[in-house]
Amino acid sequence: MAETAPFDEMYNADGSVREPYRALNAWLEEQPDKALTLMQSDAEAIFRKLGITFAVYGSEEGTEKVIPFDVIPRIIAAQEWRKLSKGIEQRVKALNAFLYDIYHRQEILKAGRIPEKLILQNAAFAPEMMGLEPAKGVYAHIIGVDIVRVGPDEYYVLEDNLRTPSGVSYMLEDREAMMQLAPDLFHRCKVAPVETYPENLRRTLESVAPAGAGQSPNIAVLTPGIYNSAYFEHSFLADQMGAQLCEGPDLFVDGGKVYMRTTTGPERVDVIYRRIDDDYLDPLTFRPDSMLGVPGLFNAYRAGNVTLVNAPGTGIADDKAVYTYVPEIVEFYLGEKALLSNVPTYNCTDEEQRNWVLANIADLVVKEVHGSGGYGMMVGPTSTKAMHAEFRRKIEARPDNYIVQPTLALSTCPTYVNAGVAPRHVDLRPYVLVGDRVRITPGGLTRVALKKGSLVVNSSQGGGTKDTWVLED
Amino acid sequence: MRIAIRHQLSVTPPAGTANAVLQLLLTPQGGPTQSIESWSVEMAGIGNAGRFIDAYGNIAHLVNQSRPEGELVVTVKGVIETTDRHGVLGRIGGEPVPALYRRVTPLTKAPVALYGKYRNAKETRLDILHGLMARVGEALGVDAPGQSQMQADGGQSQGQGGVAKPLPPASDYAHSFVGGARALDIPARYVTGYLMGAEGGVAAFHAWAEAFDDGLGWIGFDPRLQICPTDRHVRLAAGLDGLSTQPLRLVPAEDGVRELEVSVAAA
Amino acid sequence: MMLGRTAQNLFWLSRYVERAENMARLLEVGYRMSLTSRREGGSSEHLMSMMQAAEVDEAFAAKHKTADVDTVAHFMMFDPDNSSSVYSCLLAARTNARSVRTAITTDMWESMNGAWLEYSQIKPRDVRGAKLLGLLQWVKQRSHEFRGALLGTILRDDGFAFLQAGNFVERADNTARILDMKYYVLLPRATLVGGELDIQQWTLILRAASAHRSYRHVYHDRYKAQNIADFLILRPEMPRSLNFCAQFVQQNLDLLADFYGRKQECQEAASQLLAMVEDTSMEKIFSHGLHEFLTEFIARNNRVTDALSESYNFY
Repeated sequence: MAETAPFDEMYNADGSVREPYRALNAWLEEQPDKALTLMQSDAEAIFRKLGITFAVYGSEEGTEKVIPFDVIPRIIAAQEWRKLSKGIEQRVKALNAFLYDIYHRQEILKAGRIPEKLILQNAAFAPEMMGLEPAKGVYAHIIGVDIVRVGPDEYYVLEDNLRTPSGVSYMLEDREAMMQLAPDLFHRCKVAPVETYPENLRRTLESVAPAGAGQSPNIAVLTPGIYNSAYFEHSFLADQMGAQLCEGPDLFVDGGKVYMRTTTGPERVDVIYRRIDDDYLDPLTFRPDSMLGVPGLFNAYRAGNVTLVNAPGTGIADDKAVYTYVPEIVEFYLGEKALLSNVPTYNCTDEEQRNWVLANIADLVVKEVHGSGGYGMMVGPTSTKAMHAEFRRKIEARPDNYIVQPTLALSTCPTYVNAGVAPRHVDLRPYVLVGDRVRITPGGLTRVALKKGSLVVNSSQGGGTKDTWVLED
Repeated sequence: MRIAIRHQLSVTPPAGTANAVLQLLLTPQGGPTQSIESWSVEMAGIGNAGRFIDAYGNIAHLVNQSRPEGELVVTVKGVIETTDRHGVLGRIGGEPVPALYRRVTPLTKAPVALYGKYRNAKETRLDILHGLMARVGEALGVDAPGQSQMQADGGQSQGQGGVAKPLPPASDYAHSFVGGARALDIPARYVTGYLMGAEGGVAAFHAWAEAFDDGLGWIGFDPRLQICPTDRHVRLAAGLDGLSTQPLRLVPAEDGVRELEVSVAAA
Repeated sequence: MMLGRTAQNLFWLSRYVERAENMARLLEVGYRMSLTSRREGGSSEHLMSMMQAAEVDEAFAAKHKTADVDTVAHFMMFDPDNSSSVYSCLLAARTNARSVRTAITTDMWESMNGAWLEYSQIKPRDVRGAKLLGLLQWVKQRSHEFRGALLGTILRDDGFAFLQAGNFVERADNTARILDMKYYVLLPRATLVGGELDIQQWTLILRAASAHRSYRHVYHDRYKAQNIADFLILRPEMPRSLNFCAQFVQQNLDLLADFYGRKQECQEAASQLLAMVEDTSMEKIFSHGLHEFLTEFIARNNRVTDALSESYNFY
């Protein structure tokens, strides 16, 4: 797969422009020299001024960077999007049904469709969640599905993010910046709005408030604080939704209910959109040394006095090893074939597959089962022989700790780089909200690998973002 | 048998604590082996406590105390009517699926020496479990004949012929048994409760285990005493291990829980 | 509805911006005086007494043996170990602002964030001599800009009151400390004419409070100890005087009482602060003892912060 030329989203093989990109292409051709250079520096100024930054792990404390933003939007045609969003909706419904099942009767395990050990011995499985009835039966309310495109009609789901997917603020700010930078381009294309996301998020959160919360439930966004890499997003979303941005010490549990400390005394909290990992959520139930969480919060949740969004324990559904079973999961709960394909994944615990993987590692992508953000990952074709050897050793030592996939030829989009406009590899993370119903924001966050030939789009590894336009009919 | 229990524990939050939060697993439930005649949990703030069922089906309390001063004392007391069913509890509604109890936790990792010989055993599951209980006894030690004076912490003093090393606490036995059973793919859980000593014996807060048999349902095993639980056992809570069944948990905590008093006597 | 922590962050955001400005003012005074000192070792003495007023003299002495202009300027401007350096104040202000981004306006955030981003890019070794004065001016201007953004854009609700209270509590503290450090040159003495040394000290005090020119407008007179004390303690039209600051503190705490519909302990604390500088005279203050008066004022001012924290559930 690595051999073939990647699918170019703007140009056909014969050099003609694909339909959805025609208006953009014409606009690009009209731009005078240096116009894009100017736009690019304007964009940077906009982001820095707004303070849209992320902290870089492992670098000097307090270092903040602006995620590079590319001024050329990525465009998805209406019919392409309809197909994608149907597949996404099917997937998130199935994953929520799966979560409900494994935290109740575990029928899918009894039926032998997924190995029991894979779930029950998994670090991401939260036994504390057993038997809990979440509002509306929803566990994962906010989901980011990472999708790559390899052909005109060929999409793969790279991974599901059901813990606390981040990046939605970039989707919104990218649109905001794009409207400031190229208003004329918006006149030429009918772009589906993304600005409805915060309102939809609020509605989703309200719809899963515990019974007795009243007409206008109190919503809090729980952040680990200003040193968290996604703090900007936490405050942005709280602001946009009209919710309180709280840190652990702002909340406390009294009589099995959750309150926030306000200037006028305690105020009841009904729904918590928490951006703190499960382990740190409640030192009484999870890690006792956590300073970020709220003691007793989980039990207040169990007592039905507050809703946690997403529920703890959703990580079992986006575990890299469970990922390979998602088509199975869709069929088991919905009785339908999965509309979106998984990337073929090799199982290294199987000796035959492992031997094949070890022999062909230079062409493959190796991912650590519990890694994220592009860490603990190796892309064969762009790695050195020494790294191939290192990952061979790692796989042999702990075959269950890695999944291996073919190197996908991620589609490319025109991107502004030093040399001018050139194709760069992209992926797509649409954002999905699940509450009283499923709400999918048209488009999502397009991440782009700015280095020529690179397939790693993570911002921590030199990736940037693009505004993503879903065209309306 | 009618058993009266009185149990007092205390914890001390660090000085200057703004809000102390406690979780109590100190309320027994009625079932095939016991019915609750009366039960009360007393401590400051209990009137305002949140009450919920935990993931393992136990009744739990969430208590909080703002600006606590000094130690927090919890007193539970009540009267329970027990029945000896040779350890068989059967299937109880509202509990999680037995398969959950095949999950291995850090406290329930058993050495192969303990369970290895049953890996390909042809015996019935019940026989294997009895065998495993005996193996745990061999590995950790059992009371010398005529010596069954348990101490509250599960240890034991042996008077005959000089001072011998005290036996490990009951929790070690229960963890070993549970770990061995799980390694054999048998669902097994950790159980806390009260033990009324035999004649002249000392009452204790105790720990044992339960394993699942497809035919009989849940069956109790007390590997510390090398018997199936009798009508001297009062069942309090069950869970994956000693951590998930702690009778009293406090945040923020500095020191552990102190046992002030436990009395278990025929009423 | 406002989190107690938000109120706390707003209060301290303002305090740190004000403190950064005050540090720049003090350093400017110290710098000017050290340039004009004609005595051997006089330059170092001026710098040390300036740091005394800023209450960083001990921290400085622990780190450095001698006080020359470059060392002191670096310590006051850039040293992260000095919790009152302009660097530390701007960082603390910006950190507080980040925590309450949703409670302040975009203009305030951009002003604060911009100030920090620019300041954090400056290389300390590039700031010497004339460049130092330029940078001190810049610090004051960014403080003015922030205050302007605040006054021009924020809702007059509880958040505003917390911000303003922080600003004036900090300023009152600063003025009181400057006065207390030099209180002995302000005491009325038998000789009415101040010596050369006194004039120098008075200039220092007035400049540190940006009051050397406005003094002339108010008193149409040469520097006199009693006038200077009166100007910085009792004059209601002088925006850095204790009277002025105490009035603003009280006003903003009253605003909170109105907003929340309930008076609390902190309003009482503010009244007690104001009572010290209202309906009194310099004669009374001198007869009571100037140093004793200032010590008591600083204590009551601290009490306002404590009571405020209690009343509105800061941590």
